[in-house]
Order: sequence, then C-alpha cells, then structure tokens
Amino acid sequence: MGNKQTIFTDEQFEAYQDCTFFTRKEILQLHGRFHELAPHLVPLDYTNQPDVRLPLALIVSMPELKENPFRHRIVEVFSEDGQGNMSFNDFVDMFSALCETAPRELKTIYAFKIYDFNVDNFLCKEDLEKTLNRLTKGELTPEEVNLVCSKAMEEADLDGDSKLSFSDFENMISKAPDFLSTFHLRI
Amino acid sequence: MVTPTPGMMEPGGRGVGPTFSSSQEGSSTATTMPRRECPGAGGRRGAGGDRDSIPMGLLPPRSESPRWQQHDLNHSGYQIDQATHYDTTPPVRLPSATAGHVSMRFRGSRKMSLFPVGEAALGNLGLSEDDIRNEMENEEQILVKELVAMSTRDRIKAIRDLPMSFDDKKHIRGQVLALKSFKKSRQLNCFSDCSTSFSLAFRRCGANMTSARQTLELWRGTMKEVGGKFGTGVLSYFKFLKWLLMFNIFSFLVNFGFITIPQLIYHPTPDIPTGVSFKGLEILTGAGYFSHTVMYYGGYSNKTQGTGGWPEYNMQLAYFLTIAAYMVLCGAALIYSMASSFRKKYVLADSGLGGAWQLLCSWDFSVTNERAVRQRKNNLRIQLKESLSEKVQVALLPLTERLKHYGVFLGTWLLSTGMALGCGASVYFLCQYDKSRTRQSADKASGSLLEEAATLLLPFVVSLINLVVPLFYSLFKKIEHYSNPRMQVYAIIVRNVILKMSILGILCYYWMKDVANTFSCWESIVGQALYRLVIVDFLFIMLGSFFGEFLSNVIGTKCIQSLGVPEFDVARNVLDLIYAQTLAWIGIYFSPLLPVIQIIKFFILFYLKKVSLTQNCQPPRRAGRAAQMQTIFIAILFFPSFVGALSMVAYTVWTLPPSDKCGPFRGLNTTFSAIQIWMDDLNRVDAFQWTVWIYQHVIRSEIFYFLVSLIILVFIYIFRQITQGRKLLIILLRQQIVNEGKDKAFLLEKLQTLQKSKQNKQKNKKQVRKRQEKESTGMLQALLARQRLEQEHGDSSSSFGVPMPSGHSVSTTSSAMMQAMLAKQYAEDQDVASYRGVPFPADPAPASSSALIQAMQARQRAESQNEDEFYRAPVQSQNPVNALPSAMIQVMQARQRAESEQEEDEFYREPVHSEHPVSSMSSAMMQVMQARQRAEEEESEFYRAPASSQHPDASGTGSALIQAMLARQQVEEEYGDRY
Repeated sequence: MGNKQTIFTDEQFEAYQDCTFFTRKEILQLHGRFHELAPHLVPLDYTNQPDVRLPLALIVSMPELKENPFRHRIVEVFSEDGQGNMSFNDFVDMFSALCETAPRELKTIYAFKIYDFNVDNFLCKEDLEKTLNRLTKGELTPEEVNLVCSKAMEEADLDGDSKLSFSDFENMISKAPDFLSTFHLRI
Repeated sequence: MVTPTPGMMEPGGRGVGPTFSSSQEGSSTATTMPRRECPGAGGRRGAGGDRDSIPMGLLPPRSESPRWQQHDLNHSGYQIDQATHYDTTPPVRLPSATAGHVSMRFRGSRKMSLFPVGEAALGNLGLSEDDIRNEMENEEQILVKELVAMSTRDRIKAIRDLPMSFDDKKHIRGQVLALKSFKKSRQLNCFSDCSTSFSLAFRRCGANMTSARQTLELWRGTMKEVGGKFGTGVLSYFKFLKWLLMFNIFSFLVNFGFITIPQLIYHPTPDIPTGVSFKGLEILTGAGYFSHTVMYYGGYSNKTQGTGGWPEYNMQLAYFLTIAAYMVLCGAALIYSMASSFRKKYVLADSGLGGAWQLLCSWDFSVTNERAVRQRKNNLRIQLKESLSEKVQVALLPLTERLKHYGVFLGTWLLSTGMALGCGASVYFLCQYDKSRTRQSADKASGSLLEEAATLLLPFVVSLINLVVPLFYSLFKKIEHYSNPRMQVYAIIVRNVILKMSILGILCYYWMKDVANTFSCWESIVGQALYRLVIVDFLFIMLGSFFGEFLSNVIGTKCIQSLGVPEFDVARNVLDLIYAQTLAWIGIYFSPLLPVIQIIKFFILFYLKKVSLTQNCQPPRRAGRAAQMQTIFIAILFFPSFVGALSMVAYTVWTLPPSDKCGPFRGLNTTFSAIQIWMDDLNRVDAFQWTVWIYQHVIRSEIFYFLVSLIILVFIYIFRQITQGRKLLIILLRQQIVNEGKDKAFLLEKLQTLQKSKQNKQKNKKQVRKRQEKESTGMLQALLARQRLEQEHGDSSSSFGVPMPSGHSVSTTSSAMMQAMLAKQYAEDQDVASYRGVPFPADPAPASSSALIQAMQARQRAESQNEDEFYRAPVQSQNPVNALPSAMIQVMQARQRAESEQEEDEFYREPVHSEHPVSSMSSAMMQVMQARQRAEEEESEFYRAPASSQHPDASGTGSALIQAMLARQQVEEEYGDRY
C-alpha cells in the first residue's frame, strides 16, 4: 500500500473519518482495494484529489460485489453520475453506508434507492418483480412472480396506493431486525 | 434534528410556495382588471386625455410570467443572503458551490436525496431549476446552522448519518467548520482555544484507539469468510463464540491478577503431598496432582500475606471481592448487551415471515461465495413456491387434523419433559454412586489410575446425555407440524434448555447438599467435578461435530443421497456454548483458573467449527431471523444460565460452611464472614467508620433491600406503562400512515374528477385562463385602446355623422376618428389576412406571453369595435358592415359568448388559481383561436375588399395607428407561429 503519508494528507483523513464510519486504517485499506481494481488508472497519491473514475464493470468485479444480485444497482446508486462510474469518494461512500456501524436510517434510505430500479421514488410492482427475478435467477414463471409480488405488495403497502412509498418501506424494515446485519458489505 | 426525513411532500410543498404566491398575484391582477374596466368605461372622456401617452407598441413585451420576476427577486434576495454568508466563510463556499449543486441535484440534499426524479415532477409544477437550487441551498444553510449548534461528537455523528455523497458531506463539513472557526475567532479567549485543541487531541486519540482495536480484532478475515459463505445466521454463532471468549479472557485476567498472582508470589510452590505426581490423566480428570495446585479453591491460603517486607495482602478478602466483582461485572455486561440487543433487534419484530420481507429484507448482502449465492437463490425460490402453495393449504385444514396436531404437540412436549426429568434423575443416582466411590477412594487415599479414570464416568454420562438427547429432540420435527418454522426452533430451544438446566440443577443440588457435607475439602472436589465436566464436554462437542456434521455429510453425499449435506445447526451449537459457559460460571468460585480451560476450549472450538462448517455443511435453507435468535441466546445466557450460576455461588458464599482444612476461608462459619471480620477490623480505625456504617446500614440491612426493590418495582411499573403507551402510539401511527394513504387517494381522485369537468368546460374557461395570464399593463393597454376607439366612434357618430367608409379617405376629419376607423378596419383586415395566409413583416423574436397579451387586447378591441358597429348600424347605413347583417349577428354572438365567459370568469377565478395556469394554457389558446377564426372567417368575406385598399392608406396615418398596426401584426404573427 505504500507509505501512509503519501496517499492522503491528514486533513483528508480527518474529513474521511468525520464523514464516514471508517478509521484511517480502513480508509487506507479501501484505497488499496480501489487501487487494485485498476492499478494503472488509480494513482497511489491522492493528496491532490485526482478525479479518477472507474467504470461500473470494474467495480462490480470486486469479490465483495461479484455475486451480489443487486451489484449493478448498488454501484449505480452510489456513483455520482448514476451510471456507475465511481470515484474513490463514491467508493468510500458505498462501503460506509453498507458497513456494520451505519445506522438503520441511512441503510434504509440506500436500500430503498437500490430496490427502486426505475428511480421513481416508489417501489412499484415492476421494481418488486425485478428484485424477485434477481433473487431467484429468473426461474419462477411469470404467474408466480406476479403472485408473489402482489402478495408482498399487499402485505407491505399500508396506504393502499399499490406501490411502496418510503414510509411503507421504512415500516417494513422496522419489523425486520436482521436487516441491519444483512445489509452489510464487509471489506 | 438531522435524522433525514425524506418525503416528497416537504420539498414539494415548499417548492410550490413561491409559484403559488406568484400565480395568486397574477390572478389578483386579473381579478382587479375587469373591475377597473367599469370606471374606465364610465370615465372614457376623462381617460381619453392621456391616451396617447401610452404607446401600445412601445410597451415592453412581457416575455415571462410574473412568477419569473418574483423568482428573480427571490433569487437576488437570496444572493444577498449568500453574500453575507461569504463573509463568514470565505474559503469554503466559493470553490465547491457549482460542483456541489450538480451532485446535490443528483443525489440531493437530505430531503431531496431520495427523490432525484421528484425534480421533474416539480418542474411540471412550474418550478424552475433555480427554484430547486434555491430550495436546496436554503436547506443546506439550515442544515449547516443546525450542525454548527451541535457538539463536536454529535456533529460528526450527524454528518456521518446524512444520506449524501461523500463530497456533499465534506462540503457541508467544511462549511460547518469554517463557520465554527469564524465564530470562535470572534470570541477569542484562551479557554475556547484550549478546549478546541483538547477536543481535537481527544478525538484523534479516540480514532487511534478505534484503529488499534481493529488491529487487535480477532478472526476478522475468518469471520468475513464464514459470513461470505454461510450468511449472517451462521456467522452469529461465531460472533457469540467470540463474545464468550472475551468474557472468559476478562475473567481469567481478573482472577489471575488478583487471586493467583498474589498466591504464587507468597507461595511459589504448591504444597503437594508426597506420593502425588503428575501422571498425565490429570489433564482429563483434573484430580490428583492438580487438586493441590492453585487450580482449585483448596490451593489458596487463608493468611494475610505480607509479613517480612512484602505489602499486606488479605487473601480472604481478595478471593471474595474478586469473585463478587467479576460476577457483578458479568451481570452488568450481560444485562447491557441483552437490553441493547432487545432494543435494536427485537423492538417491533412482528411474527410471520411475509412475502415482502422475503423479497426486500431477506437477502444477505454479505454473502460473497458463488455457490452460496446460487444456493440461496434456489432456497428462496423453493420457499416462495412453498409459501404460494401453503396459502391454499392452511385454509383447508380440517378440525380433526388440527386436533391431531395438538395431540402430537402434547405428546412431544410430555415426552421431552419426561426425558429431561428422567435424565436428571439418572444423573442424581449416578451422583450418589459417584459419592460412595469417591468416599472409598478418599479413604484409601491411594489414587490408582483406574480410580481416577472412574471419576470420568459422571461427566461422561452427562455429556452423552447432552449430545444424544438433543439429537433425539431434533427428530421431533419430523412428526410435529408447526405453522411457523420459528416456533419449531423455539420449541427445540426450550426443550434443550429444560434438559440442560435440569441436569445442572441436579448436579448443583448434589454438590450443595451431599458433597458439601461429606468431604473435607469439598470445594476442591466440586471444582474437580466442574473441571471434568468442562473437559469432557469439550471432547463431546468435538465428537458431536465429527458425527453430527462429518458423518452425516459422508452419509448424505455417499450413501443416502436423499439426506443431503447437513446444515449447520446454529441453535444446538449455541446452546452447547451456553451450557459450557454456565459450567465456567459455576466453577469460578471453586476453581478460579477454570477460565483458562474455557479460553483454550473456545479457541480450539472456533477453528474446529470453522473447518467442520466449511468442509461438511451447507448454508442454511431458511433465512431465519438471525438477529432475533442472537437476542434470544443472550437472554438465555442471562436468565437460566448466569442467574442460575450466580444464585448457586451466592448460596455457597452466604450459607454453606467452608471446609475446615483447606482454602482461604477455612475456619469461618460462612464465606461471607470474611467481610464481617474485615469490618470488625475497620471498626477500630476511625477513618473507616463510614465503610462500617455502610456495611451495617446498607449491605446488612433488610430495610435497604426492601426499599430498593420497592423502588425498582415502581420503576418497572412506570416503564411498563410507558411501553404500553408507546405500543398504542405505534398502532396509531401505523393507522395514520394508512389514513394518509387513503387521504391521498381521495384527493387524487377528486383532483382527477375536477380536471375532467374542467376539460369539459375548457372552452368556456379559455378566457379565464387568458386573463389570468394577463399583465396589468397589457390589460391597461387593451383598455385604453378600446376606450380610445370607442370614444372615437362615439364622437364620429354623434357629432359628425360622416359615413364611415369615407372616414379614411377624408383626411380633414378628426384624426382620432380616422385613426380609430383605420385601426378597426385594419385590424379586421389583418384578422382576415392572417387566416388567408398573407405574409406579415416578421417581428424579431417576440416572446409568447406578450403575444398572448396582445392577442387579448386585439380581440377585445375587435369586439368593442364590433359592438360599436352594431349599435351604430341603424344610424350609419354607409358602413359596409351594416349591409351584412348575418356577419354582424355572428359577431354579436361571439361577443355575447365572450361576455358570458367573462361572467364565468368571476366564478372560476377562485378555483382556477389553485391549479396550474401554464399547463393548460396552450390548449385554451388554441380553442380561443379556433373560435375566433371561425367568427372572423365569416367576417373576412366582407372585409376583404376594403382591407386591401385600406392598407396603404393606413401606413400613412398617425403614429397611434402605426403602433396599433404593429401590435396587431405582432399578435397575428404570433398566432401564425403558434399554429
């Protein structure tokens, strides 16, 4: 990983520590991982804040994300341009929001964004179907998918507008104590 | 208040604010204008004096609606605000201002963040980008102000919790810090300086501590691997194991530091009787050689150490206080972790795994192994299919079937409880046998190898029961049919706990009642028994994972394929751990170094289980609620396990007489007497009177405990009531969500019906909408033009009576008259021409809204002229219009329609400005145009001829006319462009 001093300045470390849930060591570790992804693109020296963005395909190839059915959505949601091109800050952001110590509210917000495939601020049936297809490798028949989704919708939709608003989602998450530990990417 | 409250309503509602008020303003001008028309009509002559002072064509074209203007004002107002802010934070604001917005717009501020598309919706509502940006900046300012007011610690936490990108967070942090330092620099004093640097140093230190702790964190990589392959559920076992290991390390440090080290310092070599030597089997039995070492209670002296240069050290007190402190700390830690676990993970947990939960919350993001992911997907698919079929099944379950199920439950519960009791009884009889055997061997005092091995019989049987009976219990699930898989797990847990606790209870009873009264150094005997239990239990856990996991894996893969690869049974394994820990807690008094054995055991167990897991097991099929299970396990660890161990130790300390010949408390009535003696000693020293007083009046006084428990009961009652109230509140809040959804649906429906009815009346409303859009000056202009024209018509008809067609050719008549006529005719001519495709001189890029306004003017003017003509018609027969009554009738009709619409205008004005005028404007305009076109096409037949002749003349007339013409041209061209 090289010499500590040359990668980030102290101010940068302070900013990272204040704005994310990571320690200095973890930030360096993250930088190492980011550097690994594209050694020729990502400089070792980040003191002058280079604007390096890695494409979605590279980020998704990380072992932490490689098998995740929502990997593309995760990377898209956390990338600044929404296309999945990630700067190192986005990268840190992603792991920070998905780390163990992140609070439930934050995780809920990002989970909602990840499941909201069409970015309309509601989880509509279409989103649920996409989610389901990703979770089951698309091996359910369309009728089954439809049935499962409408059942889920019926169950979680409190206000009866046949789409899940954020408050519906939040309410559902509040009943799922596992969510905090399962919505978690280890680095 | 930094908890993000993402909701579209707030930014949306606020964003609509300025637009709404501006449209109100626009409509207020529209409402006042027609009223102004009335006095204007009455005082035409008076107003006629300054009619030329308002040139029509020179009026600045109103390119934008008033909203824009107001918005601009807003913007500039805000910029002023911002400028003041620049003063406070010069270095931060400038560089990131633009970059920040881009990302803010995409990822949003804390409230907008969730709704990047919400902007489009807002845009439809007429919000400009600037509006949104203003709104965001406003919010950002509020946020920064909130953050500045917080303490450092809270602020960092709040910034971390913001749902923004890192760059935005950094930007806000920079602003906050700059503002903070600015404030600080104003109140320069030494104290604040010191406190700042101190807090900074403190924070750095804290951060370093955290990273140091992370460096020391045990098994981080292994944990990640296990979590990646088997998911969070299985990982919770390893976490639990690690947590227990930490407990034991702590307990070892405390015991070793405060009891063993002093003992070893003063008595480095144990008093081992001759003839006893280390044989090797002691490692298993814990007897023989070990029984004379510091391993057990018997190995400690009762003397106050420290004669001859060494500082004094009271072994009795040290022993008692260390154990007591350890127990208290353990209890506190358990209660704390149990409470926090309950708070975090068990609060609102509803029963039943729903489809929505399976869809949205069940996926374990930490799973990274490809095979595991595939398997999980398969499992989820199967579960979903099952749940689909189950839905049908559950409803069809007949009564007899249900009765049968209840019968099975009753049977299995009776059987399991009976087995637990039977095991307890058999252990008791075994204990009796063991006692007689031990007594014989103690009498003989020879200690042959066989006799030592015989001591292993009891722990062997106990561990065997612990291994076999749970396996037997797990068979029950084949015949039981719980509707909920979680209930099944709970049932298994409860049965296992009953079994283990009954065995331990019997053992404790045996130790307290029989062993304590029979043997001379009974504490060491009990310590040995516990040691054996711990060791043999360890061996059986290893055997268990060999047989339970390895063998069933071999059988499952090689012999009986239908069994399949075994799953890792988290519940059974965790219960084993809890059992082991209970033994360690009970043994802490009898064998202070038992935690060492426990540490070694857990350490090995971790790797053993990890290997066994990765080699033999598959990920669990059902994604259970691991977090909830973890809470339950901690609760079990606390309630029967720790509380049981504590009461056993407390009973021993308070009531049982310690053995006479060995141990630190020899010669005392009870262990607790050591404290009594110490207090008596202290009583002689005046400086420690308060300690004695506390001892007399607090620790030994029943009233104190009575009061304490009374207070605790009261508090429990109060908190229980609060909890009940909160539960009620939660129900109410949920209901509120439902109600709000209904409200929303209702309002939407109402809005839709309203819009539909509006669309029907849109033809009528075109005028209304147009007027709403009108500017006051445009209106004024139109009015003035109309007034002028009408006045001139009036003049010409009353005073001169000159035939109208000749009006334009007779240049000597009043110029006003001529202008009016020309304007009128020309206007009509223009109307005709425009619809016949006559090209007009292009006006350079006029804005649309001004065209609308001028169109209105022109139409009004045209209508007013029509009116004049109509009234004049019988008088002036020369007027060509007069000769064509049908055309006039149509004009009249158009006018009447316009007037009726104007009346409607009064009715519709109120509802109209609540909806958006801009969106439906164009369709209304189109209809206006069509109506007008229809009306004017009729007219065109008659005005065509004079129009061509009038045109060149008109160009030569006065400036007012030219202006009017230009205005008309502009209007018409606008119409032409639009269609």
